[in-house]
Amino acid sequence: MTEPAEIVCTGLAKSFGATEVVRPTDLAFAAGQTTALVGPSGCGKSTLLRLVAGLETPSAGEVSIAGAPPAETLRQGALSMAFQDPSLLPWRTVRGNVTLALKLARQPVDAEAISRLIELVGLGGFGDTRPAALSGGMRQRAAIARAMVTRPRVLLLDEPFGAVDELTRQQLAEDLPPLWEARGATTLLVTHSVSEAVMLSDRVLVFSGRPARVVADIAVPLDRPRRASLSTDPAFLARTSEVSEALAAGMAETRPRLAAQ
Amino acid sequence: MNAVAADPAPSRRVGAFVEPLLGLAVILLGWELAARVLAGTFILASPLEVARYLAQNTGLMSRALAETLGNAALGFLWGNLAAVALATVAILWPVTQRTLSGLALLVFCLPLVATGPILRVLYGPGDGPQVTLAAMAVYYTTYVPLLVGLRAAPSSWFELIRSYGRGRGSELVHVRAMAALPYLFAGLQIAAPAAFLGAMVGEFTGAERGMGVLTIRAMRALDVPATWALACTAAAVSIAAYAAIGALARALTKAPPPVILASPDTSGLRRNKPILNAFITLVLALALWWGAMAAFDLTPFFAKRPGDVLEALLLAPDAAQTRTTLLAALGETAKLVVPGYLAGLALGAGLATLLTLVPAAAAVAMPLAVSLRSVPIVTTAPLAVLLLGRGPAGTITLVAVMVFFPTFVACLHGLRQAPGQILDVLRSYAAGPVARLVHVRLPAMLPAFFAAARMGVPASVLAVTVVEWLGTGQGVGALMALSASLSDYDMLWSSIVVVALVSVLGYAGVAWVEARILSRYAAEQVAR
Ligand SMILES: Nc1ncnc2c1ncn2[C@@H]1O[C@H](COP(=O)(O)OP(=O)(O)OP(=O)(O)O)[C@@H](O)[C@H]1O
Ligand SMILES: [Mg+2]
Repeated sequence: MTEPAEIVCTGLAKSFGATEVVRPTDLAFAAGQTTALVGPSGCGKSTLLRLVAGLETPSAGEVSIAGAPPAETLRQGALSMAFQDPSLLPWRTVRGNVTLALKLARQPVDAEAISRLIELVGLGGFGDTRPAALSGGMRQRAAIARAMVTRPRVLLLDEPFGAVDELTRQQLAEDLPPLWEARGATTLLVTHSVSEAVMLSDRVLVFSGRPARVVADIAVPLDRPRRASLSTDPAFLARTSEVSEALAAGMAETRPRLAAQ
Repeated sequence: MNAVAADPAPSRRVGAFVEPLLGLAVILLGWELAARVLAGTFILASPLEVARYLAQNTGLMSRALAETLGNAALGFLWGNLAAVALATVAILWPVTQRTLSGLALLVFCLPLVATGPILRVLYGPGDGPQVTLAAMAVYYTTYVPLLVGLRAAPSSWFELIRSYGRGRGSELVHVRAMAALPYLFAGLQIAAPAAFLGAMVGEFTGAERGMGVLTIRAMRALDVPATWALACTAAAVSIAAYAAIGALARALTKAPPPVILASPDTSGLRRNKPILNAFITLVLALALWWGAMAAFDLTPFFAKRPGDVLEALLLAPDAAQTRTTLLAALGETAKLVVPGYLAGLALGAGLATLLTLVPAAAAVAMPLAVSLRSVPIVTTAPLAVLLLGRGPAGTITLVAVMVFFPTFVACLHGLRQAPGQILDVLRSYAAGPVARLVHVRLPAMLPAFFAAARMGVPASVLAVTVVEWLGTGQGVGALMALSASLSDYDMLWSSIVVVALVSVLGYAGVAWVEARILSRYAAEQVAR
């Protein structure tokens, strides 16, 4: 990788009381790259994202973004996180939630751009609806729009398409990455779908069960823009099986019985 | 590394001891200064005089304290049990909700001027009236926030319960009870000083022992140090109870509040039939009133029935005269109670907000706020009159104080109901405390604020009538006192009824505004 590293984790570890969640890890994420994080449920992926966002304090080691603590990036409004739970403000409409992100990041509010983004995530016509009146997948898409509207330099997506149907998911997987790539965003994407991981990323990190440890670091040197048709491409299929195998191997380390089944 | 600390609250280990001491010092200093300024007016004793009095009368004071504390504790227990029972019924059978709330409000509105003597007649000598008045002083301020808390859960949690074919009982046990805890504790914290005061007021009506009795005696004898020693003891007990309940609340409510997504179904607003509900409540209230009079076989000379009041206000030859007098008095009172109410609300919400921005200020503000509420109004009324004159300022201030405290406590708890997940979103943009306040905490506080605004209506009416009765000699409170001393029971009862009706109207007005605002900010409060 020729790009300089944007996000660097050195000796990063996290425990909650006696529960070790992230084992001491060194990681570097190149600027402008999209990295997919896959691993068994409960292994510590969300915790890792929260550490990168400075929302959790590491038990050991540190995170730096562009050579400074994450807090610096947060202050610039240059980081966005789409949380695993959509976490929309119940009393604001979809548009209101998206607008709030711009205000919090101290960026000018461009009503036009907001409408386009809401349209793009497939929520056209729902801009004035409040979260309680949206479906689960629609809420998730609103949260993605909120995360993307500030055009962040660091974008953290925690299972962004988890509650979205297969076809919409494919649509979003085609439409959204060009937006964050155009901006050169360094993107970390947690997903449980192996094909989605390969489809969206330049690199896939596979984690073992808790405490999280990287069991495989797989580059995905496929051309962009990527289309859904890629999913039958032999190069693509080779990567997905590589990821799946690593995943199974990682599982076997910590949960032998489950992996054996 | 931890540059983006969450909220400043947990990080004050060292300050935990220094700040309260500092606060105490500031309060004592201000008090000493005030006492020096007012020296010779027989109004305010200095801290030193109070300490001396307490040291010299330890035996007397501790016996009185034990007596009053016992009554207050019993009243606190019964009043809060009643509140929990009422709220449970209102949640389990939603059709009863408005009627129950209406009746609870009406009973809370009954002026102490009237209920005190009647209870004494009913119970005879003993602790009955004290305990009952203490209970009556607390049940309402627990009932209202509790009902709000019992609704403060996402609709998906209720759907989960219903998906197993279970009903409102299971909802109550598994979802509502936990969701209501923070609100219950707010109610209990408001109740602690109120129960103590209620017990003291009950003792004013002719008990033989207790701090209320000593207070009356000290005030008659113009024994200023004794009066303030009693007031300080009451305040100290209230602060201790307030702090203990606060500690319990923090120990029991660990989980961060959830994001409450509730279906924005406003059919609850439409389905509600205000006129029918008002009618049912009225009929029930009249029946209860009449039934109580008949059951206790009270003499119609002073215990008027609904018919008597109707006659006095509408049919009697001097009915027009009665109405004019009453309306004039009401007008005078309204000029004081409305600004006092609004000021109390604004101050309560404002101070609670300020304290979340500057937590260090809590050490001074908190004890001051609790003592303001728990020092008996009987003691503070003359002081307020002295400081602010007999004009409207004194009365408005006392009304504001009575509304301020419940609002302050409810809003403090309400501000903590900000969902942790949403605070995380704001933290990921490095949003400062002001942005967190404006975008998350204040909206999350709204249900608690409106509960306080509803409770404040009868509280301010009670306060204004007591001040007018004891201090200023104007308005409807003075009219009641005058009627009582002239044995004009028709006028007394008419005043009580009209004051209660006006309170209900004010309450309904606040509830109307609340429903409109919460349908956006807390739909779960409106839907069912
Ligand atoms: N605040 C916390 N306190 C204590 N334990 C926690 C906390 N947050 C997470 N954990 C624990 O850390 C582990 C990893 O949690 P995390 O949310 O990071 O998993 P994950 O990899 O994102 O899982 P999933 O794929 O299911 O979302 C879990 O065992 C969880 O119980
Ligand atoms: Mg997760």
